[in-house]
Amino acid sequence: MKSRIRSIVLFFIFSYCSCKKVIQVNLNDAAPQIVIFGEVTDLPGPYQVSITKTVNFSATNDFPPVSGAQVTITDDKGLIDSLSETAPGIYNTHTFWQGVPGNTYTLSVLTSGKTYTAISEMPQAVPLDSISFQENQNFSRKNTISVVPYFQDPPGIVNYYQFAEFVNDTPLNKTYIMNDRLSDGKYFNLPLYDDSVHIYAGDLVTLYMYSINADVYNYLNEMQQISNSAQSLTPANPDTNLSNGALGIFTVHTVVSKQRIYD
Amino acid sequence: MRPLSAFGLILLLTGWLPLFSQTKYSISGTVIDKTSGESLIGATVILIEQPRSGVSSNAYGFYSVSAPAGSYNMVVSFTGYLSDTVKIVLNRNLLLPVALNTDHTELTEVVVSAQKKDDNVTKPLMGVQKLSMNEIRNIPVLFGEKDILKTIQLLPGIKSAGDGNSGFYVRGGTTDQNLILLDEATVYNASHLLGFFSTFNSDAIKDVTVYKGGMPAEYGGRLSSVVDVKMNDGNNRNYLVSGGIGLIASRLNVEGPIVKDEGSFIVSARRTYADLFLKLSRDTSINRNKLYFYDLNAKANYKIDKNNRIYLSGYFGRDVLGFSNLFGIQWGNSTATARWNHVFNSRLFSNTSFIYSNYNYLINVNLTSNNINITSKIEDFSLKEDLQYYANSENKINFGFNIIHHTISPGIADASPGSSFNSFSLQKKYSLESAAYISHEWSPLAKLHIDYGLRLTDFSVFGPGNFYSYDQNGNTINTSTYSSGQIVKTYFNPEPRLSASYLLNSLSSLKISYTRNIQNLHLLSNSNSSNPTDLWIPSSNNVKPEIADQESIGYYRNFNDNKYEFSSEVYYKTMQNQIDYKNGAQLAANENVESQLLFGIGRAYGWELFFKKKYGKLTGWVGYTLSRTELKIDGINNGNWYPARQDITHDISVVGIYQASKKWTISATWVYSTGNAVTFPNGKYDVNGQILFYYTQRNAYRMPPYHRLDLGATLVTRKTKKTERSWTFSIYNAYDRDNPYFIQFQQDPNDASRTQAVQYSLFKIIPSVTYNFKF
Repeated sequence: MKSRIRSIVLFFIFSYCSCKKVIQVNLNDAAPQIVIFGEVTDLPGPYQVSITKTVNFSATNDFPPVSGAQVTITDDKGLIDSLSETAPGIYNTHTFWQGVPGNTYTLSVLTSGKTYTAISEMPQAVPLDSISFQENQNFSRKNTISVVPYFQDPPGIVNYYQFAEFVNDTPLNKTYIMNDRLSDGKYFNLPLYDDSVHIYAGDLVTLYMYSINADVYNYLNEMQQISNSAQSLTPANPDTNLSNGALGIFTVHTVVSKQRIYD
Repeated sequence: MRPLSAFGLILLLTGWLPLFSQTKYSISGTVIDKTSGESLIGATVILIEQPRSGVSSNAYGFYSVSAPAGSYNMVVSFTGYLSDTVKIVLNRNLLLPVALNTDHTELTEVVVSAQKKDDNVTKPLMGVQKLSMNEIRNIPVLFGEKDILKTIQLLPGIKSAGDGNSGFYVRGGTTDQNLILLDEATVYNASHLLGFFSTFNSDAIKDVTVYKGGMPAEYGGRLSSVVDVKMNDGNNRNYLVSGGIGLIASRLNVEGPIVKDEGSFIVSARRTYADLFLKLSRDTSINRNKLYFYDLNAKANYKIDKNNRIYLSGYFGRDVLGFSNLFGIQWGNSTATARWNHVFNSRLFSNTSFIYSNYNYLINVNLTSNNINITSKIEDFSLKEDLQYYANSENKINFGFNIIHHTISPGIADASPGSSFNSFSLQKKYSLESAAYISHEWSPLAKLHIDYGLRLTDFSVFGPGNFYSYDQNGNTINTSTYSSGQIVKTYFNPEPRLSASYLLNSLSSLKISYTRNIQNLHLLSNSNSSNPTDLWIPSSNNVKPEIADQESIGYYRNFNDNKYEFSSEVYYKTMQNQIDYKNGAQLAANENVESQLLFGIGRAYGWELFFKKKYGKLTGWVGYTLSRTELKIDGINNGNWYPARQDITHDISVVGIYQASKKWTISATWVYSTGNAVTFPNGKYDVNGQILFYYTQRNAYRMPPYHRLDLGATLVTRKTKKTERSWTFSIYNAYDRDNPYFIQFQQDPNDASRTQAVQYSLFKIIPSVTYNFKF
């Protein structure tokens, strides 16, 4: 057995790549649907409910407001507030009340003869101890800065968290969520990953942490899954707490926050 | 069926066998390749004077034919080999090993005309495709890595699940409904590098048979297909070293006799080294990345005496993917098979196999103060007994049983004390899958061949563990605790199988078949690509066995002295207890994963045309499939029928291999298929500043069509009796088509008032070269 392997010349043309291009897709039009977003927190009001309609995919991002709706928010402790339309499609609560953890709020919207309702309970607040910054390297070698929130998850109860990040008072258009399904009672120190560079030295970063309920968490979770076509096999409209086929969500949550300058 | 009753059935059957007339004598033996000693699977053996006596050699090369006393000419033929005719005086049972040669010398008599090259017409089996390793060797594939799973996707009725995916759809089935066997052991994840390559190193493979329908009763466990891959036994005459050096992978194969003519071994290894180029980088964030796989096939066999032979074979493969030191995942299959062939007498052949199969993965995450390791595993121990009784030229009986013990460990996570996660251990799932089968190959008339049989499948899930039942919303309503070995649920299912062929004339036949298949292990995967972390679950109190009934009818015709073959098959398949997922289903690390599932029914039907040129300078085929696959699942699309993702209306493949000269072989393949059924948005809306898309109907749109041309050329620079040097050149996606991998709907990054659709493609044009040697 003789080994006589010739010298190998490999012409290495490794043009394998991932490439993308914008394409035109012929999408059918759909009849406009009602979209409701309402939010009640434990911070002082007024709170807002917005009502708009869907548009076709090819249209510009101008969503027609729905005016003249009858919007009320009630709770299980006897609150009744009939909201006032302050701008087309924007309905505000009145300041005689403030959201209280543990209360269950009901949103009711009557428009064009149809009533849409949602029931949502405000969870107890979980304190946010502090935030720090973590430098990440991602595959494209951009060094991004992630904010790391530190907080103690209350043991024995199910908790869901949402985070909103502001850099120099500008909100980042990105929603982060966490739950304690695999972390009950743990001290959390998980970074909020972002694949774009948003934070530079000297920036003032404000992190808001919301305690949200299961319905809202599931809604946001499905929303994140379907927004990633690489992962999602069969997107569908996220399940919402709104009745009667309305799109959107009625979220009722607590708010805590921390600020820190990145240096 | 308990194991004991399976044994009982076997005893009953063996007692019944002598009922077949035994006034004839039989000739039996093994058909081998004269140069290497490799047994030949599917060689045809026939006595010219007894046209109905024809049989095929079995998976171990064994054959047995029977006839009354007399003088006969026995013809043994096999594709790629010269036929051998042996003159026989039959006055007692004869043992007659046959060695076929590719060379003209040493043959007693050369029969040039293809005596039995019309198996496709005469055999009752339908929906069966066999590819020779020669064909597989010459067909160009990605990075020049010969790949049996990619090559079978060029056959009608078998469709690729897309670029970067080894998965395939057979007659409307999903990728987990294919039973992939390597020397009888189940391969649970047949893909390397997240699907770019399959786990089969073609150097180590002898034979590949794909059943799309009409599976023989000895196979069971998956709904759509059986891909039966058999490894080489190794040369039992000479030591041989062969291998190949390619752009991203190299292979080495060593084989030789243990005892000349009595036993041999073969070891094949392969490793990719794409990551070696990463090491050249000075950037620590890149040179610490890992991305490679390796696999190892090994087999040995030894002939104890003329009636007993043992085989040991094994496979071990591993993929390693690591991102710096932060994140790593590795996964792989290992299988082992120990077999004992025993010839009871010239008519009764037995094989007993002990089979081990394991698929596992390991993930480690090392983030500052958040270290976590996750392991998951599926492990099978199996005993399989197959017996073939060659009663006479009109009757052959196959019978046997199979018992598989499955242990599924869905996940064990080990988190460091400072981590944000708790350690957890999901309950292991234990199950026993037992089956007994019998089938009868019967030729009541010279023109009629019938193969009918019954497979009885028993699947039991047992404790220890908690088993849950759920309400409509997926909330646990009842928890039952079972002790070790206590049966939770048993499913018993008969699987009738029938196929028949009727010869219209010597060149054409009509075939029909009916098959029922049961599947008791289900793969949960709701992402676009096949992931190593996709979870297998057994049937349980919540998940019922999947059932498929398939009827098919086909017309087969050969032309021009069997040089051309043509077939046309129509199938209709109904499927029960199909699985889909709730919106936002949480499949990973979830004790209550069964609460995330939805169930329904499916139907698939289609028409497959196949035209093949088998001999000559130019060989190849054209395949076309027209098909439809639909699902109806409670909770999806308002309970209406909708096209399944694997619903592909038109599918065309063209394969050509041209032997230009002694040195050059040129090949080309072209595929075209209708895009997958997908869900696209019909509108959009704003929720608190975020644009969301509005969906109305499931899978109502189509991806753009997929088409691609691949070119290949092999240059043999040196060829002697023992040594060979060759270069393989290939161009994948030769006209650089941007085939869609997925389409993302998103905000236009340059215009906040607009949204856009962005198509991502995986592969551009990819040339490659491989150097192969043998000495």
